[in-house]
Amino acid sequence: MTEIPARGAAGGSQPVRSNTRSGKLAAAAARRLSALLLTVVASVVLGAALVRLAPGFGMDERQMDLRLNEESLAAMRAQGQSTGILTACRDYLSGLARGDWGVSVALGRPVRELMADRAGLTVRNLAGGLVLAWALSLAVGFALAVARRRAWDTSVTLLTGGLLCIPTGIVALVFLYFAAPSAWALAAVLFPRIFRYVRNILQDSARRPHVLAARARGCGRLALVWRHVSVPSLPELFALVGVSLSMAVGAIIPVEALCDSPGVGQLVWQSAMGRDLPVLMHATVLVAVVTCAANLFSDTARALVTREV
Amino acid sequence: MMQTAARWTLLAIFLAMLGASAIAPWPYDRQFREETAAAPSARHPLGTDALGRDRLSRLLYGGRISILLAPAAALVSVSIAILMACGAALLGGWWERVASALIDLFLSLPWLFLLLAVRGLLPLNTSPGVSLGVTFALLGLLGWAGPARVMMAAAKRQLESDYILMARASGCGTWRLAAAHLAPNLAPVTLAQFWTTAPAFLLSEANLALLGLGIAEPLPSWGSLLRELSNVTLVPQQPWLAAPLVLLVITLGCCQLARAADEYSL
Repeated sequence: MTEIPARGAAGGSQPVRSNTRSGKLAAAAARRLSALLLTVVASVVLGAALVRLAPGFGMDERQMDLRLNEESLAAMRAQGQSTGILTACRDYLSGLARGDWGVSVALGRPVRELMADRAGLTVRNLAGGLVLAWALSLAVGFALAVARRRAWDTSVTLLTGGLLCIPTGIVALVFLYFAAPSAWALAAVLFPRIFRYVRNILQDSARRPHVLAARARGCGRLALVWRHVSVPSLPELFALVGVSLSMAVGAIIPVEALCDSPGVGQLVWQSAMGRDLPVLMHATVLVAVVTCAANLFSDTARALVTREV
Repeated sequence: MMQTAARWTLLAIFLAMLGASAIAPWPYDRQFREETAAAPSARHPLGTDALGRDRLSRLLYGGRISILLAPAAALVSVSIAILMACGAALLGGWWERVASALIDLFLSLPWLFLLLAVRGLLPLNTSPGVSLGVTFALLGLLGWAGPARVMMAAAKRQLESDYILMARASGCGTWRLAAAHLAPNLAPVTLAQFWTTAPAFLLSEANLALLGLGIAEPLPSWGSLLRELSNVTLVPQQPWLAAPLVLLVITLGCCQLARAADEYSL
């Protein structure tokens, strides 16, 4: 029978526990990293399949050039149709391993260079939008939880519900009209979505028995919401971080395209309009990596907070 | 009370759009060359667009397209989701793992992004009818992952119920279990997912259209009509330009109220 060491007793119990814990942490990290790699490979296959199976595959705007003769057109068509899905995936992955991301068909520049030029602005837009939306959501959610006024809750619910009904593109156009930064437009798109989740998480947490017990013991409102409602909700809030990044990546395309912000989102839009396959393919993989990494981070953070690893 | 009002409003909008051919004053593609970009009048209650087409007629016909095809696409998504959820939950093991991995993969890629990428690959000479079909088919085929995750969790909960145990004990086969016991008990979740997905598809179509990747002209849809708002500076002087947006917001708001929207879950 295993002897359970007394709490705080000196001896070998602490290092053993810590080794077990770090081992579990390493195993969980390895498991999640392999899932991330698998997802990236799957996204490459999915991206290649979507591109190859799309009705427009093999069509090139240059084929509309009247100066091209029949031979050139046939060569272009053959070039477009030559590779299968698996060959395309293999070529893509080997190119990626060599650091070769191919050349944009529409812009005639290396995709890597194009992405690198625009990534900084997109990261700033995403970070600004997410920070603003989260700050606002947490502040309003916390304030509503402290105030416990039904009228305020209904008003904010109606307001966020109304914002949810407006297409992202229209929100972007409104912010463009007021010459506001793209990050603000992104925050306006993300706020109602994040807020709804935050409010639900805080409300669920506030209904737990320990909160009722704390209230019965005379705990103050602020302390009650902070200590007994917000802190126990941290794991769920961490889980939401990954989800919110995925939402932000989806919203950044219309925001950057319509606010004329030259980031990766605008590049993706231009590539979709110009049917620029190399850029679209790399953007798909990049988005998959970013969102999977964010989910990995938020899952790990949640596991660390709840000590479930 | 509010839910009832929302449902009646939705029904009224739905009927008005269905009866577009009877209500609309003009065909949606008729061009009044002498009245281009005209202000509202008795002949054209919402004015005309830059090509002289009656805005009210286009709003009604466009509404019919959006309001019929978004739920149709949602039906496709929810059908894929329920098949996947029931199959994965009943077969278990590797099937379940593969289904979960597929769901994770589709959820990890923002589907507006996927939609934009695939929609952008359509040939340049795509006809309006094909672009309409492809846009909503893509919405249906790419938007199943979210509902599938919720339904898979619900199906797994149902499988732990006593009635399933009893059905299994009385020799009920896997497919009969799925069709006769599991699927009917998943109906409330399925309906909730349908009500969540259909408005999301309306919004996605609007976003695609605003980016120039929506349904091809001359077919109208609410999304393509919103493109007139690209020049926002005109709206304060010509507020009637915002009519499609107002109708879209009312429809989506009523959808939210009708399904008691405060039940958002992770």
